[in-house]
Amino acid sequence: MMNAPLHALETVALRKEYPGTVALRDVSLRCEGGEIRALLGKNGAGKSTLVRLLGGAVEPTSGAILVDGNRVRFRSPREAIRKGIVTVHQELSLIPGLTVAENIFLGRLPRRRAGLIDWRAACSMAEALLEELGLALDVRAPAGRLGVAQQQMIEIAKAMSHAPSVLMLDEPTSALAHREADRLFTLLKRLAAKGVVLLYITHRLEEIHRIADAVTVLRNGALVGTIPAGEANPAAIVGMMFGEAVGKERPPEPPPSGTPVMEVRGFTRKKSYSDISFTLHRGEVLGIAGVLGAGRTELLRGLFGADPHEAGLVTIGGKTVFPSSPSQMKKLGVALAPEDRKAEGLIQILSTRVNINLADFWPPSLHWITTARREREVATRYVRGMDIAVQSVDSPVSDLSGGNQQKVVIAKWLNTGPCVLLLDEPTRGIDIQAKRQVFDIVRELSSRGISSIVVSSELEELMEICHRILILKKGKLAGELLPHDATLENLIGICME
Amino acid sequence: MTRLRPLLGSAVLEIVLVALCLFLAAVAPNFLTAENLLNVLRNVSMQGLIALGMTLVIIAGEIDLSVGSMVAFSGCLTAWLTGALGTPGAGLPVPLAVGAAILLSLAAGCLSGSLAGLLRNRFGVPSFISTLALLTALSGAAELITNGFPLTPFPGWYNFIGGGYLLGIPFPALLFVIAFAGTHMLMNYTAFGRAVYAVGGNAEAARLSAINIRTVRTAVLALTATLAAASGVMQSSEIMSGTATTAKGWELDVIAAVIIGGTSLAGGVGRVWGTMVGVVFLGVIMNGMTLLNVNEYWQHVVRGGLILLAVLINRMERRGR
Repeated sequence: MMNAPLHALETVALRKEYPGTVALRDVSLRCEGGEIRALLGKNGAGKSTLVRLLGGAVEPTSGAILVDGNRVRFRSPREAIRKGIVTVHQELSLIPGLTVAENIFLGRLPRRRAGLIDWRAACSMAEALLEELGLALDVRAPAGRLGVAQQQMIEIAKAMSHAPSVLMLDEPTSALAHREADRLFTLLKRLAAKGVVLLYITHRLEEIHRIADAVTVLRNGALVGTIPAGEANPAAIVGMMFGEAVGKERPPEPPPSGTPVMEVRGFTRKKSYSDISFTLHRGEVLGIAGVLGAGRTELLRGLFGADPHEAGLVTIGGKTVFPSSPSQMKKLGVALAPEDRKAEGLIQILSTRVNINLADFWPPSLHWITTARREREVATRYVRGMDIAVQSVDSPVSDLSGGNQQKVVIAKWLNTGPCVLLLDEPTRGIDIQAKRQVFDIVRELSSRGISSIVVSSELEELMEICHRILILKKGKLAGELLPHDATLENLIGICME
Repeated sequence: MTRLRPLLGSAVLEIVLVALCLFLAAVAPNFLTAENLLNVLRNVSMQGLIALGMTLVIIAGEIDLSVGSMVAFSGCLTAWLTGALGTPGAGLPVPLAVGAAILLSLAAGCLSGSLAGLLRNRFGVPSFISTLALLTALSGAAELITNGFPLTPFPGWYNFIGGGYLLGIPFPALLFVIAFAGTHMLMNYTAFGRAVYAVGGNAEAARLSAINIRTVRTAVLALTATLAAASGVMQSSEIMSGTATTAKGWELDVIAAVIIGGTSLAGGVGRVWGTMVGVVFLGVIMNGMTLLNVNEYWQHVVRGGLILLAVLINRMERRGR
């Protein structure tokens, strides 16, 4: 009973209207310090609007926000932070050239009397903060040299340095592997115990049980309800999010026996992976599991010829090659949907039409003449076939949601008639419905004899979709597993041990 | 007003250009004559030719600062080669010597652009730097070739390329229009054109979409340098000599025309047609001010202001979307 004072966050009929739409409809909710509240909803449900209102990025049309029982108003994120509401955004915002310590205390570095920055104090403050969070990092290292997971931890450290009463986390684990996520959860629970209100936005249902005490669901801008985490089974949550239960977990079909389409022999890039050999069969969906930094992404990029590797050959369609460029591998029928879909999968300023046709433009002799009309026909075919929600195929692809962008990336490659699809984190940051659709596409392709290699941090997804899963550990193949005769716990066990 | 926006929004510069022409037609009696308009076209054609290539280079996310020096260099090289190859008694017949000199100058242009591409691709040298170096080097090379004095080895008929008329139309203007049609088709109706936009829009995404971004970069840089060399040949024909000091600062005029035409220096956005309008726009302004006897120094000031204005209009138009 002698704990630190519990903070509280309350919204009263919070409403945000934009011309023509209501983004948030009179949402009233109350979160107490000490609990971790998960906030769910599919894309467009109003989650991000709520986060922006609470974080001071936009002002509400009507309604009120109360922190510890006092009404607060803010016109900027800076004011929100001063009043105790701090947000950790999904996108990393660290400045790569500055040190960890500088990033944490950016704009408020401790000064000496003469006005000069007190570097020693800054570093020791940063070190103390990181130690409290259980992070062993060099605070003098440039942030850009750290991995994504570590950068994410720095973002949280930065948020904590403001001593917030309310901490909002927008999909903090989307870039983290299982173990890093665990460390984050331990940290969040410790924060909750201190009385901080934690609002946790996520797409991952399985996280709810690991982290949340209660779940609040939004749909179409309105509050659907709040239930205790104990009652939040997937069917219930999906029902709340979509209004009806959609999609059921299909067990993986038995792996198609038969002809190998791609054989990888002795693939090595010393710093990332070594001596990787495996065979991919026709129509097979092959998963690659492993913790972050195990070399999964690097291996996929190496197989596609996107990054150089030192040794190793790929046999595909009767030809044995040393992958050295994407155009070479495309010719052999290999395709890659990269991890960073926004920056590497699509050209955001160009239209959906051009993006769907993008992989079909080289060599130029493929289409000496191409017309917008021909491209529109191709694009429209995929937009219909894959249910891509788009206003017009001629408007910029940046208008599309994450899930639809992912479908455009896949469409781009299907248009080249591939036989092997390399998918790197294909479901990252997309809502459940889009996820189902992406899985359905992969299954559909599999039934048509097109094989896929899927890399994902979401092990339960690999269990759901793959015929076979390879486990990558510190750059080496550490075994393989058939989802049919194993459980998620088995897989997690093998990956972590 | 809001309803007019979509209609006007896509053609602001064209409307401004028409308004400018109407204004000049009203105040300068000899503006709206066939002779004067053809004259405008001839005056813009040599820079315009380069601007077409520069549009591709800028859309691809690169830049070429060496085009002005390339004009001077290629003019001097053509003159020197004509003299060297066509030496009476020892060499080729004069028409053949001229033809060979032109081809070799164009090849030199192509080579210079390819070099910038190679430096970009193999060693990561930004084209801004490599072409800045070429700007200086080519200018020096032109001086070396001519030893500081204009070379005048050309036969009288050579003047046709830069100063002649075909069917009543200035020959350089004809070449410019043909090159416009060619680059316009290239950028709008070929897979290569799409690849240029893709590379400028996001080079990494383009590479991972199996587009050979090195080839694209080298091709646009080589094309532009070749067009600059062609422009140099035309220039040397117009003045009937190879002169090392000609075309100083053209690179900036050319880039200005491209930017006025709505092409973004950030890459991935732009149109060849826009550059055509930008080129004509600048030409009409200069012509109009000359006809109105505006002081030459003022002409530069006004021109600078108009460049700024045109870019602002483009900005607002883009934000409006």
